[in-house]
Amino acid sequence: MSATLGPPNASVTPPAPDSNQDVAASARTLLRRREDPRKRLLRAALLVLGVLILVRGWMVTDIDLGKLTNASNAGPILKALLQPDVAGRDVTTTELNLGFTVGATSDQPSEVKNTSGQTLRITPGAVEPGETVAFDGSGFEPDGTGQLRLVFADGHDLLFTRLQTDARGAFHEERQWPDTASVVAGAYTFRLVLNAPVGALHPSETFVSSLGRMGETILLALMGTVFGVIISVPLSFLGARNLMGRSPVGQAVYWVVRLIFTITRSVEVLILGLVMVVIVGIGSYAGVLAIVVHSIGSLGKLYSEAIEGIEAGPVEAIAATGADRFQTVLYGVIPQVVPAFLSVTIYWWDHNVRMSTVLGLVGGGGIGYLLIQYINLLQFNQAATVLWMIVIVVTAMDYASAVIRARLV
Amino acid sequence: MLAVEHLVKDYAGVRALDDVSLTVGNGEFVVLIGLSGSGKSTLLRCINRLVEPTAGRIVLDSTDITAAHGTDLRKVRRNIGMIFQQFNLIKRSTVLTNVLSGRLGYVSQWQSVLAHFGEDDYRRALVNLERVGLLERAHQRADRLSGGQQQRVAIARALMQEPKIMLADEPVASLDPATSHSVLKYLKQINHEGMTVICSLHFLSLARTYGTRVIALKDGHLMFDGSPADIDERRFKEIYGQDAVEVEIR
Repeated sequence: MSATLGPPNASVTPPAPDSNQDVAASARTLLRRREDPRKRLLRAALLVLGVLILVRGWMVTDIDLGKLTNASNAGPILKALLQPDVAGRDVTTTELNLGFTVGATSDQPSEVKNTSGQTLRITPGAVEPGETVAFDGSGFEPDGTGQLRLVFADGHDLLFTRLQTDARGAFHEERQWPDTASVVAGAYTFRLVLNAPVGALHPSETFVSSLGRMGETILLALMGTVFGVIISVPLSFLGARNLMGRSPVGQAVYWVVRLIFTITRSVEVLILGLVMVVIVGIGSYAGVLAIVVHSIGSLGKLYSEAIEGIEAGPVEAIAATGADRFQTVLYGVIPQVVPAFLSVTIYWWDHNVRMSTVLGLVGGGGIGYLLIQYINLLQFNQAATVLWMIVIVVTAMDYASAVIRARLV
Repeated sequence: MLAVEHLVKDYAGVRALDDVSLTVGNGEFVVLIGLSGSGKSTLLRCINRLVEPTAGRIVLDSTDITAAHGTDLRKVRRNIGMIFQQFNLIKRSTVLTNVLSGRLGYVSQWQSVLAHFGEDDYRRALVNLERVGLLERAHQRADRLSGGQQQRVAIARALMQEPKIMLADEPVASLDPATSHSVLKYLKQINHEGMTVICSLHFLSLARTYGTRVIALKDGHLMFDGSPADIDERRFKEIYGQDAVEVEIR
């Protein structure tokens, strides 16, 4: 102990206590003198080095706070995020055609009515340019949106006006007939195309398919975790320092197992996914294999650390009863690590669900496959549905796994 | 009869035991005393080979413990019961499972995988739990029990081995004085039934109450071997150092 403090220095005499402040200041100086100056120098050097690394990092990663003003570019995507395609109603389309004359005068309205009693009336039935025309509809589905198109004699048409039905399924529009050369005098047809929602609100197709893919994702993570556990549990005992002893064979096995853990853990799951897709083709199977390989390293390491953290005493006590090595592990080690193993496994399943949501980006199945499709097709509302589902499911699993783990320990 | 002959143990250059020789007859209650680090634990752990001796020989009833390997070592160990300062029970397992694990030296690997102990083993468990007064706690988790009760479970576990000799490494150092007595009484009782006991203790007063013989270690050497009554002031200072004062625990 005296080595770290240094030999007591006889030449240092306590200063006369003139005032309290003096004593405090000199006490600090006295204590500081006891510290190795090289240690202080090293601390300063490390601080400078740390700052230099941060500065270099800022430069290498092209950090430019000014560019954050371009955030509005993400506007449409962010807007879509707030309007995920979750539920909708069926849409019915109604089409009505009604003859109309331009370049004549009439005081009679023109009207058409279909078998469902849906009526379109144009008042008057013929106009001169500059006159006012009223379009009235009734008997339609409420809250519909549609177009009124003007069909020419040769069959081509153009959009005349957009319209909406009110809560009673009616609409009323008035227009002054334009004085344009393009609409010459003659016979025309007005075509009304009206789309209206009918029936009850039901989950959208996007929502249903996302839900299916989400289920697939959770099961993918589960299968990957299960096989990862089956492989890593036995390995973890061979990768625990306290069980492998000091014999050369034990040490060799320990290092080989630890190397396997490190290598499988260091390859990211997306890269493993790419490799597995090449081997077994696009789909969930490739995702499961990627998760398995990735899990072996991480689970193995966490399990091994749990084993290394057990109390040595009970293991010694079991060995002292005359149990062999296998029995000692069975009765002295395993009961101690069961809660930690369960906790690690549940945490890792939760982690694997998160990993599985992106595996689809490389063809590894799961919900990510759907997400990348929607993004590539610029269907942001649909992509938003998937993203929100991922957020909700991952959050729920995170919470559930935390609650379960808290009970285990 | 246990014979320790010229026992030496080195830990990375530090000599923990230096040429220790002693014999313990059947039915003795030997108390090991000495300062922390004097070699008491090392001596006890050499006897059941939890620690490998560097040199010397230990013989239990004509079996050379120091030469035993593999299955032989297993047989040697099951003949030697041991209890520890920290009780060393499997905390999350039930009292019964802890006690049954004392039979591991007798059952096959397959039986232990399936936790399939024989009717015989269960009968022994019943007897030994009753002996330490904890039969009604059989199905409780070990960590639900108090320190003294846990140590009694540890005694029951060691008794399951049907050992010829019982080692106790500071069995009461983690317990309060009243509980210490209750645990030592159980050890004394099994000693009366014929079991040889070697027990290390911190308090000389406990050694005087329970021991038939005291062995003192200092810096790995045997300092004293004799009756508890023969430890006077001078001997005490030899064992514990000049500044030591005897503390009584009743």
